[in-house]
Amino acid sequence: MNAYLRQVYAVVRKDLLQELRTRQRVATMGAFAVLVAVLFNYAVDPTIVRIQNIAAGLLWMTLIFAGIMGVGRTFALEAEDGAFQGVLLAPIPRDAIYLGKVISNTVLVTVVVALTVGVFGLFFQLQYGTHPVALALTLFLGVVGFVALATLFGAVTAGTTLGEALLPVLLFPLLVPLVVYGVGATGRLLQNRPLAEVEGNIRILGAFAVACIAIGAVLFRHVVED
Amino acid sequence: MNARSLARMASVLLLTLAVATPVLGQATELGRQTLGRPYWHFFAAYAIVVVMLAGWIVSIGRRLKVVERRLPELDG
Amino acid sequence: MASAVALLGASLLMVLLWMVFFWVPTEAVQGVIQRIFYVHVPAAWVSFMAFGIVALCGVMYLWLKDDRFDRLAVSAAEGGMVFTTIVLLTGPLWGKIAWGTYWTWEPRLTLTLLLWFIYLGYFMVRNATENPERGKRFAAVVGIVGALDIPLIHVSVLWFRSLHPQPVVLNAEGPALDADMGITIGMGVLAFTVFFFGVMMLRYQLECARARAELLEAR
Repeated sequence: MNAYLRQVYAVVRKDLLQELRTRQRVATMGAFAVLVAVLFNYAVDPTIVRIQNIAAGLLWMTLIFAGIMGVGRTFALEAEDGAFQGVLLAPIPRDAIYLGKVISNTVLVTVVVALTVGVFGLFFQLQYGTHPVALALTLFLGVVGFVALATLFGAVTAGTTLGEALLPVLLFPLLVPLVVYGVGATGRLLQNRPLAEVEGNIRILGAFAVACIAIGAVLFRHVVED
Repeated sequence: MNARSLARMASVLLLTLAVATPVLGQATELGRQTLGRPYWHFFAAYAIVVVMLAGWIVSIGRRLKVVERRLPELDG
Repeated sequence: MASAVALLGASLLMVLLWMVFFWVPTEAVQGVIQRIFYVHVPAAWVSFMAFGIVALCGVMYLWLKDDRFDRLAVSAAEGGMVFTTIVLLTGPLWGKIAWGTYWTWEPRLTLTLLLWFIYLGYFMVRNATENPERGKRFAAVVGIVGALDIPLIHVSVLWFRSLHPQPVVLNAEGPALDADMGITIGMGVLAFTVFFFGVMMLRYQLECARARAELLEAR
């Protein structure tokens, strides 16, 4: 078991080092998130709706679109020069590679989501409610569930001729539960509703994340086999 | 699916609609009430079912024919 | 065999059409439009059953790497796409009369729309790989994950619905089912199921013939 964790860690370390050196994915995702917030400001007419009332939905849409951009590129860099073949040749089980990728992607997307939440607070005077920890947990579990599915299907689309353009088609229908429960919980927390109202949602988000990781870990080897 | 089979399916649909047309007159404004006789929607729904199911069979038959034409060539 | 089953299914469909047009009593509240029920519900049933077959065959294909399971899966998926399209086209036609609008976020209708898109993804992935064997594996993965996610999607859209009262004039189900209507809907489910399996087997034969042609071509 210890050896397994070390293998997962090796993949995480490799991916994060790569990102630290190139800063490609975090930079594009971060810039996207901030610029989308700027566009949202003009997309919402303040005489019709208060942007704070729909902030939860906007936040989750930003999370998903930025995440798709970033996670879709997971395998792009390694696809060049056949580097991914090297990763596959390493004496590591395939699910360890998958878990490593999920962890490193979760780190990247979490950074971007934290940035987005901060930017929303700055741009739209968004108050984070009376339960900031629950809010953070909701968003984090959402990110994990999203990344678990997106990493699996990122590997799928990386092997197709359509590439990342196919990712939303495969991913969006499956993300409906995440958006429903995630936006539901986030919206209520931002409106200072009692914690009891969102507890069920947070549990479901957690279960969704765990289930997606399990499914991905089982199926990943069938995606990258060849 | 080629243009000809599409055209054939479209003509079947049109024919069904043409049969349904005499009842169309009675169906005006019926979308607004629930007690009326919305024949138009009813016939359209059944036309869609028939066209889709027949279209599926026809398309399988055509594709099968294409493959079967190729098979003896390859065998020989 | 396959054409015999398909033919039986087609004749059962004819009987169903006769029952719907000439035999079954008209529903008292909704009137004629309620007769869409007899194709809408069986088509929905077949759509979801077909996706179950897609996922099961996907699991078997990934496990045993036997091409026959993939052929079954793609045959079922094509049928599923056909029947899902039927559900999505007949639903709004009924809804326009029963609810006063073509589209509502009715949970089952929403679920069917998402199912249609999952089927779409299944075929897009299949056809977008240079190596056909890889396309089969990818499609199996899409089918399995889709089938596992569908119950959760259903629960979530139901939950969402409970937050938003809809402008529903009538319950889609109508009052408790009359005996003759029960027989007709049973006939609908039977006819659609038999027809689906018959044509799915025809489609399977097509896939087998294609595989043979490819084998001969490679020689």
